[in-house]
Order: sequence, then C-alpha cells, then structure tokens
Amino acid sequence: MPLPLQNRFNAELKSAVWSLILERTGYGLRYFVQFLRVYPGYAAGYIIVLTVALVAAVAPLIAPYSPVNADASVYLQPPALSHVLGTDSTGMDVFSRVIFAPRIDLAIAVIGTLVSSIVGSSIGAWVGYFQATTGIRSFLSSTIMRAADVLQAFPVFVFAIALVAVFGQSINSLVLAIAFVNIPIYLRLMRSQVLRIRDMRYVEAAYILGVPDWVIIGRHIIPNSIAPVLAQLSVNIGWSILLTAGLSFVGAGVRAPTPEWGSMIAMGFPNVMTGQWWPSVFPGLALAITVFGFALIGASIEFLADPRRRRTLASGKPPLPTQA
Amino acid sequence: MVILRYIGSRLLFLVPQIVGIVLVGFILIKAVPGDPATLMLGPMASTDSIARLRTDLGLDQPLPVQFLIYLQKLAHGDFGTSWQTTQPVLSDLRTRFPATLELVTYGMLLALLIGIPLGVLSAVRKRGAIGKIGGMYGLVAGALPDFWLALVLVFVFYSELHWLASPIGRIDISVIPPDTITGFYTIDSLLTGNWDALGSSVQHLLLPVVTLGLINAGPILKMTQSTMDRMLQADFSQYERLCGLPPQLIMRHAFRNALPSIITIVSVLYGFLIGGAVLVEIVFSWGGAGQYAVQGVLNSDFNPVLGFVIFSALFSLVVYFLVDLAYLAIDPRIRH
Repeated sequence: MPLPLQNRFNAELKSAVWSLILERTGYGLRYFVQFLRVYPGYAAGYIIVLTVALVAAVAPLIAPYSPVNADASVYLQPPALSHVLGTDSTGMDVFSRVIFAPRIDLAIAVIGTLVSSIVGSSIGAWVGYFQATTGIRSFLSSTIMRAADVLQAFPVFVFAIALVAVFGQSINSLVLAIAFVNIPIYLRLMRSQVLRIRDMRYVEAAYILGVPDWVIIGRHIIPNSIAPVLAQLSVNIGWSILLTAGLSFVGAGVRAPTPEWGSMIAMGFPNVMTGQWWPSVFPGLALAITVFGFALIGASIEFLADPRRRRTLASGKPPLPTQA
Repeated sequence: MVILRYIGSRLLFLVPQIVGIVLVGFILIKAVPGDPATLMLGPMASTDSIARLRTDLGLDQPLPVQFLIYLQKLAHGDFGTSWQTTQPVLSDLRTRFPATLELVTYGMLLALLIGIPLGVLSAVRKRGAIGKIGGMYGLVAGALPDFWLALVLVFVFYSELHWLASPIGRIDISVIPPDTITGFYTIDSLLTGNWDALGSSVQHLLLPVVTLGLINAGPILKMTQSTMDRMLQADFSQYERLCGLPPQLIMRHAFRNALPSIITIVSVLYGFLIGGAVLVEIVFSWGGAGQYAVQGVLNSDFNPVLGFVIFSALFSLVVYFLVDLAYLAIDPRIRH
C-alpha cells in the first residue's frame, strides 16, 4: 500500500493550499492598505467608525459623570471646563451622554441590519433561484416578490413606528422593526444577483451532477453574489442609526434617561428655541459624524468592488492602486 | 392606442396592489395591543358601554369580516373617524395632506435646483474642485439627520438672528389662512390676492423647505453625477467629440440620455418624502399628514394611520404612473 506516499501528497497539497491562501490574504491586505494610503479620504471612514466603537466601549472609563444621573443644581450650563459639552435641562452631563449613546444606537442598528441582511438575502437567494421556473416554488417566489412590493409601498417611518407599537416599546422591538423594514432591500439585491449567476456554467454543471438545490444555493450561488450585499450593509447601518434616532426623537424608540442621540436631541428641542443649543447640537453632530463614517466605508467598498477600477491582470491579481 | 393599452394595464396592476397595502396595514394595526373602545371611553367607562361601543365599531366581529367591512366602507370613501380629532379621517386628511404636499413639493424643487446643476457640473469637471465637492456633498447630506438640521436652522435663523417669525405651524396665528382652493397656502393666497397670508406662509415654509431641499439634493446629485458621467463616456458622446461638436451640445445630448434615471430617483424621493418628511413636520409643528399618522400610532388612534398609508401609497402610485408617461415622452424607443 502506498500509504506513506499518499500521506506525503496530502501534506504537500495542504501546505500548498495554505501558502496560496496566505499569499492571497497578504496580497489583499497590502492592496487594502495601499488603497487607503492613496485615497486617505476613505481611510477617514474606517477611523471614524473604529473611534466611535472604541469610545463607546470604554465610555464608563472616560465619562466624567454618570450618563443618567441628573444634578438639578447645574441645569443648562453652557460648555465649560467642568462640563465640556454643557449640561441639559435636567442637569445631566451632555458629554457623558454623547459618548454612552453609541452603545445603544450602534448595537440596535448593527444587529438589526445584520439580521435583515441574513434573512433578506437568504429569501432573496431562494426567490431568485426558483423564479420563472415551474411549479409551486416558482409561484411562491413571485408571491414573495409581490409581498415585497407591497411592503416597500409603505411609508418607512410610519411602518417602523407601527411595528414598534405592535411589538411593544423596547430595544428588542426596535431591532426587530429595523430588521423588518430593511428586508426588502436585501431581498431585491440578492435576487438580482442570483438571477445573473443562476445561468453560469458552473451552476448548470452542479445541477446536472445532481447536487441538491440547497447545496447549489449555499455553496455556489450565495458566495458568488455576496459582494454587493456587503457594500449595502455599511450604508444601511448608517441609515438604520438615523432611523433609530428618528424613532427615539418622536418618542417611539429609546426613552430618556437612557442615553441615546435621538432622544437627547428631542429633549434639548425646547431649549434650542430659547437659545441653549448645546443639549441638542452635540448629540446630532455625533450622530451625523458616525453615519458619515459608515457612508464612507460603504463608498470605499463600492469603489473597491468596481471592476473598472481594478482590471484583472494575467496573474489574476488586481494592480495596486496608484494616485489618480 | 398603444398608450391607452399601456395605461389600462398599469391600472389593472394598481387594484391588487392597493388591496394588498390596505390588508397589510390592517393586519399590522390589529396586531397592536390595546382596545380602541377602552381608549376612546377612558379608564372610568363601564364594561357595558365599552361592550356597546365595541359592537358599534364592529370590533366583536371576526377579523376577516372586519377587514371586509373596512374595505366596503373604503369603497364609499369612508375612512372611519379619528377619536383624537373626533373628525372623519377623510376630512382631516383633506386639510393635512395638502400641507405635507406643499412642504414636500417646494423641498423637492429646491433639491432639484441644487442637485441637478451641481451633479452635471461635477460630472463634467470630474477631477476638479467641483467634482470633489459634488462627491462629498452626497455623503454629507446622506449622513445629516433632517430633524437635527431643522433644529440647527431654527437656532441660527430664529433664536440667534431673529430673521424669521416663530417657526411653528404653516402660518402666523394672527394671520387668517387663505380660502381653500388647492390647499397650498402659497397658491391659494396668490389666487385670492391675500398678501399677508402669502408673506406669512412663505416665511414659515422657508426653513423646513431649506432643510428638505439641502438633504434630498444629495441623492439627486449622486444620481445625476453618475449617470451623466456614464453618458459622457458612452460611444455616442465619444463620437460627437470626434466629430468636433461643441462641448455644450455634447453635454445637452448626454443630459437628455441621463434624464430617465434622474426622473426615476426624483419620483422615488417624492413618494418617499410624503411619509419621510414627518420628522421635519414634527419639528415645525406643521400639522401635516405624516405628523397626523405618527400621532395616531403613538395614541392608538388607527383610522388616521390607515388613511395616511392609503393616501401616500396612492400618491406614490400616481407619481410612478406619471413618470412612466414621462419616459414615453422622453424615450422614443419605448413607444415602439
């Protein structure tokens, strides 16, 4: 039995595959770093998001005051050394609340968006795979598309508020509502991708070999159509943060005194009318900068995924970006 | 003939879509915990009177029957009554929907005025300063919360500079609103020659319209820029350049070819804003349809919510329909 030989062959194959993976990953990383150096504007997006996440993580360590304790003796103090961003109408420290808020806002938006992307793109993959075939599954997939049409015809904001009302006002309901209103986006995106990939030779080959449908979807179709979904994710997280803040602003989301940007803006609203701008302006600024960071990351993924920007060379590697 | 058949097929699709929207809205609202009868009568009401009201409202019927009753009433133009305003929803919406529409329409116009020229310019001068500003504008506008921008504008122009009257409502309390013709205060006051009302309503429109315009110019700019860019690189533009046509003419032809995409994004935004402007409406106490619906959900007053959803869906569908007609006018290829 040539067992030792086969073992050696296996070992060599394994190491060859590993070195290929490492080389590719290393190249990918170098490409990414070079990309950020050539286009520093996009690097700002990653820096902003990482900073916000880091600040939120260490908020208990750096916050000078408790984010939920009101000290009535110092209400509506303008920004000064003792309270860097001032205090609000109940005497809570605006800075401490602003840095605690992303814990809620980011968590709701990120989890909600992840859930909707997973659910939405799974349904989308299924619908795309079976659309315009025959039988019950084809019928079901067109029905799902019509249902998505109807859901998207709803005014998003009112729909989200109604969903929160249905589930009862809590953070979990906010996550659910955000996941729900975003599902049609991923459903459509994934479906259009799958419709394109479904007719590729390798899918046909797998089908002819008798590979079960769910394996074809899971192993061949989804991995090949995931890129636009990832680009959408980042933009969508930013948008979901805005939606969360908006819901809290009208009182249908996170309630005071829990630190959250939207409800902070709402709380400071009456003060803005009389000239005390800081309780509302700072949380809004933090909100806008964070969403801007996610939008930049989304734009960078879009940029990187654009095949016109990185024409594949004979080696199969994209050229490293150069100054435009 | 072709056009008539086209319109007919579009209308055919409309009916099931609207029934679907009403159905989803209905299920959603029935799923909200809380009994409308108890809410309407208050905590002190006797169980007897609550039961009587439940029968009057049809709440003791099974859900499918309730839905059919609702559809039947809807077909007669009866949207139910709002217990907050104690008015029929239809008459409430008749005054509130134009308020939202006026705000959103002017906001859209401003967004077009900013977005299209800047988008075209930044496509033409892609590498220059304008191109960079154009790319940046889209990202920044997309990241700004509209309700916050509205607040900042109120702070600067009302609290600090005192340039504008108190930013509450559509018109000063001391000014009598113009007679209702279109429901747009600006147009009605122009038609009736009511100059006080015109001045006051323009002043109240200014900040919310600027807020909506600045933010919604972002997507329009982005779409204009990317489509114009593609059209300027397309074969027909290259050929025109080779033939030595003046740049102005090449730009005009490229713009005409970019127009369908721009119209699409404008129509989507316009439909979206009917419900999407609600946060700005709330900041300015606008009393529009979106605010009405949000108040409805927050206070378990559901007829207004369903009414608003149906109104805004119908509005979106009408806009999409008009857009399809516009495509027909712009693109001769569709007609064949």
